[in-house]
Amino acid sequence: MALVQKLLNGTYILRKCPKASAAFCPSLSFRVADYCSSSLQKSGPAAKKGSWLRKSEGGLQGRHQEEVAVDLPSPEEKPEVSFDRAIEDEVKDHFKRLKDEIVNHWIGPEGRPLHEVMMEQAKVVWQFRGKEDLDKWVVTSDKTIGGRSEVFLKMGKNNQSALLYGTLSSEAPQDGESGRSGYCAMISRIPRGFFERKKTYDWSQFNTLYLRVRGDGRPWMVNIREDTDLIQRKNQMYSYFMFTRGGPYWQNIKIPFSKFFFSNQGRVRDVQHQLLLDKISSIGFTLADKVDGPFFLEIDFIGVFTDPAHTEEFAYENSPELSPRLFK
Amino acid sequence: MSWAQAALLARGLSRGWGGLCGAALRGAPFSQVAALALRGLHRSAAACSSDLSLVPSPPESQRRPVKVLEPHEELFKQAPGGERDKASFVRAVQCFGQQDVRRRGHVDFIYLALRKMREFGVQRDLAVYNLLLDVFPKEVFRPRNVFQRMFVHYPRQQECGVAVLEQMEQHGVMPDTQTEFLLTQIFGRRSYPMLKLVRMKLWLTRFKNVNPFPVPLHLPPDPVDLAKLGLRHMEPDLSARVTVYQMSLPSDPASPEEPAQPHIVGTPVSSAGIQSPDQQAALARHNPARPIFVEGPFSLWLRDKCVYYHILRADLLPPEERDVEEVPEEWSLFYPMQLDLEYARSAWDDSEFDINEVEEGPIFAMCIAGAHDQATLAKWIQGLQETNPALARIPVVFRLAGSAGELLTSSGMEEPPPPRPEAQEEEEVPQRQQQGQG
Repeated sequence: MALVQKLLNGTYILRKCPKASAAFCPSLSFRVADYCSSSLQKSGPAAKKGSWLRKSEGGLQGRHQEEVAVDLPSPEEKPEVSFDRAIEDEVKDHFKRLKDEIVNHWIGPEGRPLHEVMMEQAKVVWQFRGKEDLDKWVVTSDKTIGGRSEVFLKMGKNNQSALLYGTLSSEAPQDGESGRSGYCAMISRIPRGFFERKKTYDWSQFNTLYLRVRGDGRPWMVNIREDTDLIQRKNQMYSYFMFTRGGPYWQNIKIPFSKFFFSNQGRVRDVQHQLLLDKISSIGFTLADKVDGPFFLEIDFIGVFTDPAHTEEFAYENSPELSPRLFK
Repeated sequence: MSWAQAALLARGLSRGWGGLCGAALRGAPFSQVAALALRGLHRSAAACSSDLSLVPSPPESQRRPVKVLEPHEELFKQAPGGERDKASFVRAVQCFGQQDVRRRGHVDFIYLALRKMREFGVQRDLAVYNLLLDVFPKEVFRPRNVFQRMFVHYPRQQECGVAVLEQMEQHGVMPDTQTEFLLTQIFGRRSYPMLKLVRMKLWLTRFKNVNPFPVPLHLPPDPVDLAKLGLRHMEPDLSARVTVYQMSLPSDPASPEEPAQPHIVGTPVSSAGIQSPDQQAALARHNPARPIFVEGPFSLWLRDKCVYYHILRADLLPPEERDVEEVPEEWSLFYPMQLDLEYARSAWDDSEFDINEVEEGPIFAMCIAGAHDQATLAKWIQGLQETNPALARIPVVFRLAGSAGELLTSSGMEEPPPPRPEAQEEEEVPQRQQQGQG
């Protein structure tokens, strides 16, 4: 898989990693650490037949950019690596995807009939009902820059929810350039299509994000990233806060998309514009509230829906003092 | 130290110590220059030679790590008998200001003071930040002509000003008009610190009330008050009642279960519990044949304090045992007891998610206890029995984890796994046995 990817994408994956561990709090100034997502890992027939890529122990942990390549198989397992077979499987898989895409295009958007898509008012985008649902997410922490926070993701009770837990530590790494540290994040992987093409979500009919979570009272941040192919867009994201209440009751959090503010390279920008929903590539949850200690967040599902009572287009206006060019 | 430095410089210049002058001209900080000068003094006193190359002597002790104090760190040193509080911090800052009217080394001093703020506990104090900004010499860093305006005038000082504001922002301190005036006086209106101030005024006000469940900035120091705050924070039902259960003092030698008391002898452990009327009614309806569980402890974070709570819950009834809700007969003719209005606009208005939500058993009460052991929680259950007499007939199972262990319940919440695995205790304490009733 790695070989195919490298053949096709060259240094694409290495340079423009879709899952940058974006700075959590928009007003912090340390550098954004890029790391490559584990999009190199794959479930499916290739993995089952002992592919070269192994899911490591904390398999959902994203890696630092230097460790992009294939990790070594553990000595106990004896993979039957047959180069030709692996390549064959990969190629078959990709052509299957191509076929699905072409066929789906004729059925309707995303393979569902048009009337169903148009009439839809509430859609579950990510649910956590099995291990394969967890594979769609990557967790990172400030370990990538040398910090001490830990974060893990696993299935919750009865396989009915996902539990993101760990310990936050705001001890800054002694590398001479980071002044602050202490963040953990869970980011969704970008869905891939034929030959690892990035697919985007189209939520233009919906206007509110719906999260059913159970937290421990800590404030989280929800970050949405749009199509990240352009270099300029690599570090841009739209964020908003998610305040958990704590307690044993499930919390339904509704965040309208008009509330998301724009930030680039970890800093909130003066020129604010609304989040456009037609090419969303990933969503992420970040915890960086500068309080050391263990945390957990249990997520039932994540959906989008149309709130007919919400008519606001964008919550933040631009001020002529900060962005005079907009008002010329 | 300025007089000593001046004297040494004069001596250096008069005797022509090339090394010393070279160091001074290169811009080495004064402490280094003074150290070189001192060493030079000692050596020339012994030999009285005019060697122009000053070879610095190797450091004396290489074994133990010598903690070198930063230039003005001695101002922040704790006076014997004194404590680190706002007054001493303010005194240290004012002392620096009085030492030199030119405020030499003010940038480093301000960075040092920013680092020391947390120790003195003044990181959220606006007056202290204004005082710190006051350390900057005024009117010096304002650009005076178009070329100075074009380039970043005094970039290091502007960065320092931005760092002060950034720390304010980090701690959620809102700048006021005095801050603005100080920044205008120091840097001018079109400078980076001023820009940062404008941004802070905009974004901090925008996000001031963004938390739908606000927690007060100053948490109550009393643990019972904190527990009450935590319980109210968690419970969405506003008609829930908080009760505080006081434990008795362990002064009774006759009772054999005393050695398990978790607190300091003489201090009663109190716990606070919360229960809403709906939960009371649900507990009254609960089938006594099914046990209910006390689960915990789960963590709740209030700002930067973590409290642990326990819950009293029952398992979900299997579908066949769930009662159909009976429609009560209308006992009031003035208004209908049950309204079943269809608010959907038409047949295709479907804003339900196509997923089965996680179903869990009902929760009957919550408590934040002083200790996480069974004795304290048993007291809570006994206290609950006063308002819920039905609880006397229901068996209660205590499913307590260790200090923060993982629970092996079939349904319910989960704790982050601890570094050392704790065995789970499970004890059946049927209430009828405890009551000893016939």
